[in-house]
Amino acid sequence: MNWSHVKLIFHREVRDQLRDRRTMFTICILPVLLYPLMGMVMMQVAQFHREQHVSVAVVGLENWPVDFPLFAEPKTADKIRWKTLASAEFDKTAIALAKENEHQSADPIAAEKLLRQAEADVIVWVPNSFGENTLAEPLVILSNQRWERSQLALQLVYDAVGQWHGSRLRTRLAETHLGASYIQPPRIEQVDVSRPEMKRAIVWSKILPFVMLVWALTGAFYPAIDLCAGEKERGTLETLLCSPARRREIVWGKLLTVMCFSICTALLNLASMHITASIVMSRFAGMGAGGMMESLGPLPLHSMGWLVLLVVPISAMFSALALAVASLARSTKEGQYYLMPLLLVGMPLVMIPMIPGVVLSPGTSIVPITGAVLMSRALMDGEYTHALLHLPTVVTVTILCCLLAVRWAVRQFESESVMFGGNERSSMSQWLRNVWRQRESTPTPNESILCGLLILVCLFFGRLALGGMSLSWHSIVQSTIVIQIGMILAPALIMATMLTRSVRKSLRLNPPRCTDLFFAAGLAVCMHPTYAAFAAVVSQEYKLGDQTTSMLLQFDTIISSTPIWGVLLVLALIPAVCEEMVFRGFLFAGLERNSGHLRAILLTSLFFGLSHGVLQQTITASVIGVLLGWIAYRTGGIACTLVFHCVHNSISMLLAAHSSRGEHAPQWLSWAIESVEGRLAYSSLWCWLSIGISITLIVWFATNGSRQPIRFLRPSPDLRT
Amino acid sequence: MDLVQVQNLCKSYPDSATGEFFALDNVSFVAKAGEVFGLLGPNGAGKTTALRILATILQPTSGSVRIFNFDVTSQADYVRHSIGFVSNNTAIYDRMSAWEMVEYFGRLYGLPDDHLYPRMEKIFRKLQMDEFRDCPGVKMSTGMKQKVSIARALIHDPPVLIFDEASLGLDVMVARALQSIVLDLRDQGKCIIYSTHIMREVERLCDRVAIIYKGRLLDSGTLPDLAERHSQNDFEELFFQLLTVGDDEYRPTPPSPVLGAFDPARISATRGSTP
Repeated sequence: MNWSHVKLIFHREVRDQLRDRRTMFTICILPVLLYPLMGMVMMQVAQFHREQHVSVAVVGLENWPVDFPLFAEPKTADKIRWKTLASAEFDKTAIALAKENEHQSADPIAAEKLLRQAEADVIVWVPNSFGENTLAEPLVILSNQRWERSQLALQLVYDAVGQWHGSRLRTRLAETHLGASYIQPPRIEQVDVSRPEMKRAIVWSKILPFVMLVWALTGAFYPAIDLCAGEKERGTLETLLCSPARRREIVWGKLLTVMCFSICTALLNLASMHITASIVMSRFAGMGAGGMMESLGPLPLHSMGWLVLLVVPISAMFSALALAVASLARSTKEGQYYLMPLLLVGMPLVMIPMIPGVVLSPGTSIVPITGAVLMSRALMDGEYTHALLHLPTVVTVTILCCLLAVRWAVRQFESESVMFGGNERSSMSQWLRNVWRQRESTPTPNESILCGLLILVCLFFGRLALGGMSLSWHSIVQSTIVIQIGMILAPALIMATMLTRSVRKSLRLNPPRCTDLFFAAGLAVCMHPTYAAFAAVVSQEYKLGDQTTSMLLQFDTIISSTPIWGVLLVLALIPAVCEEMVFRGFLFAGLERNSGHLRAILLTSLFFGLSHGVLQQTITASVIGVLLGWIAYRTGGIACTLVFHCVHNSISMLLAAHSSRGEHAPQWLSWAIESVEGRLAYSSLWCWLSIGISITLIVWFATNGSRQPIRFLRPSPDLRT
Repeated sequence: MDLVQVQNLCKSYPDSATGEFFALDNVSFVAKAGEVFGLLGPNGAGKTTALRILATILQPTSGSVRIFNFDVTSQADYVRHSIGFVSNNTAIYDRMSAWEMVEYFGRLYGLPDDHLYPRMEKIFRKLQMDEFRDCPGVKMSTGMKQKVSIARALIHDPPVLIFDEASLGLDVMVARALQSIVLDLRDQGKCIIYSTHIMREVERLCDRVAIIYKGRLLDSGTLPDLAERHSQNDFEELFFQLLTVGDDEYRPTPPSPVLGAFDPARISATRGSTP
């Protein structure tokens, strides 16, 4: 790659964007003006809010106890405008009618009319003997909860009556020998040891990453549309494409520009919002909202520094994504449509850190963006050791995602159909005919991904439907068959029949070598201790819920009381056959096209993991899926992975069944399997030995498989130059 | 010297209606230094696709294209340094002045400052662009923009120049100016591929022409040759005659890649035999 081309393109694009008034307005001027203006409006609204009064009409004020006048309550007196209504104007039948209406939801207009006639937000009706006997007729408050003012008035009347009752009670108690202290609640004093600036950091660390992210995306998106779709529209892209700059260099030049603007927008918004909020909050503090001021005052400088550091990777990722998405658009107008889907994809990743209780952990650190946001929050909170522990994962995931996004963007620029594709219109039937006519021997990558998504959706609804079933052997058999054959195998089989010319090639049903089969079975046996240890670590890290644990125990009891051949058939063989035909078969066949072996291995393992539904199983299955995918790639078919899968499941089932029955391992296996606290476990001798044999077998597959080793960097098939 | 050699060039796209659409079907021609080679055809004939392949913007589906003896697929970098591409699709940047635009491309071609600026001065003088050198693209007239495009294509002094419907939308004055620039470049020994569908331009400019229709090459040669072969002196009439024959769609044999005498029996589509 020629970096001088990248630099030239970057300089030109930045200069071009700076000369564009619209961009400058959105990116620089808007954030600087927006927040002060918003702050000003907020102050105005606050003022308005404080001066708002509600109007309360009282019917039968003469019935109110004389000892404590209702209107005199100091805390509510300035907010309520009281007025009296003569009982004649407002008789009890009207109130009864309103009450009736409320319960029967009959004609509400009559009741509403009462309020409108009285020109009040609420009407308080004081019964005859009110105050003398609390068990007598109640105080009736007529309100309309549809009106906001009425809601506020209702609350204020409640407060006023509550305070009136409190002070009357205290006076009456004082008159008795008990005294007012009799009803005094115990005094509680709270001592907060956190420093005020740390508390502020916590509040800000929840708000600011979100704000920053939205602006980083907005700041990336508009320049990206202008730089891709805009150039296409204006015809300058072709000018650039016939220059000596390669597509990759053009993408990098444009990416750096987009990133530069994304970072600037995010930082400017951050600074402007922070400064405005601090000033507004200090004004509010002056008005008597001290607690609020303490929590939203200016953020310490070092916390701000961590946020700034977070901007760079997030902007890089969004810029690359925005560039790739924008290059799909043929015009700026079309480009605008793509912003919402991109926001919808990005938003959940930012929302996850805002869920209470979500902290930086091995699990959250591998989620793109979420990990980075949680990392910055941990750093802002001053948890440096904790953050440092997860730093490698977060950095790796972020860099990986950035590179993938850049790669995607470069692919878009290399694709002739994306760069020069017209607006092709065709009817649905024509398209279907064409899909049928152009079937190939294996599915396309898109068809494979579609199949994977279809299976996941089917499984989601299927599991919800089957969730209510009671746990018995009969229900286990039923749900396994429905899920494996109906929801996993059927979609893939239908797609293989309809969309490809060869079901055998689509499902990768190639004849295996006997040695491969034998070694695959051996590898499954030897990998099992490592898998079991890994699964234990995962369940340690992500604790199983009580419900799941009890279900697992029930499950073990059921399989221990069922003939073992039945268990192996239903829980080892059927899942192995169905899942291998689909994940290492149909999905793999499509994804490995165009030398996409790495893509096939990673995506099939992800789909395989997600199809398991439970988080702990998803993690372990995804990891074992990578090994299965690799074996499937090395052996060129699914026979070996099928054997591996079947043997693996069988061992798990046998161990679970035997443990549950409290049986010991057979004598001839005592060197490898021993009983620990009533359950069967691998001996340390076999654990170490199995690791050694596994490595040997993996090396054997790596050197003796029927395929060539994976080439991670594949040569350019199309417009790389 | 054959600076442009196109052999059995095919370009196809997936098409949702027909399965595959052939934009170019076995097209072959050569163009020499010091000549204007006209690529003639109606709209949608495949001229732009062919020229985009020559400019390395698109990749051929099959066949070979060599420019200045460099292959467009495997030696695209060298090809790009050997061509200047002007098309009605290659617009200029709105927010850049004429001077900045040409300077930017000169730098992309890797010209050192001491070479770039004298060359820019020379080109700006020659194309009479000095009066609007600081004018931003958005304020330029169509003629000015076209001049900037030509200056941009000439900045690295390429031996081959490709003009793809460059006169489209130009008024008579500017079109004339463009023609004189093209002839001037030819006299300097450049090889010029000039695509158009305006007959008058062809008659005025082109030394040899190739007539292309629905992705297929119908005939090629010098204008007098074509007139003699088809016994038709009016070139517009000749062009129309060829297109009518081409529309008849009979395809007995695949066309020979060797350019030669026109024979209606050889106008054929080789869709079936295309690799």
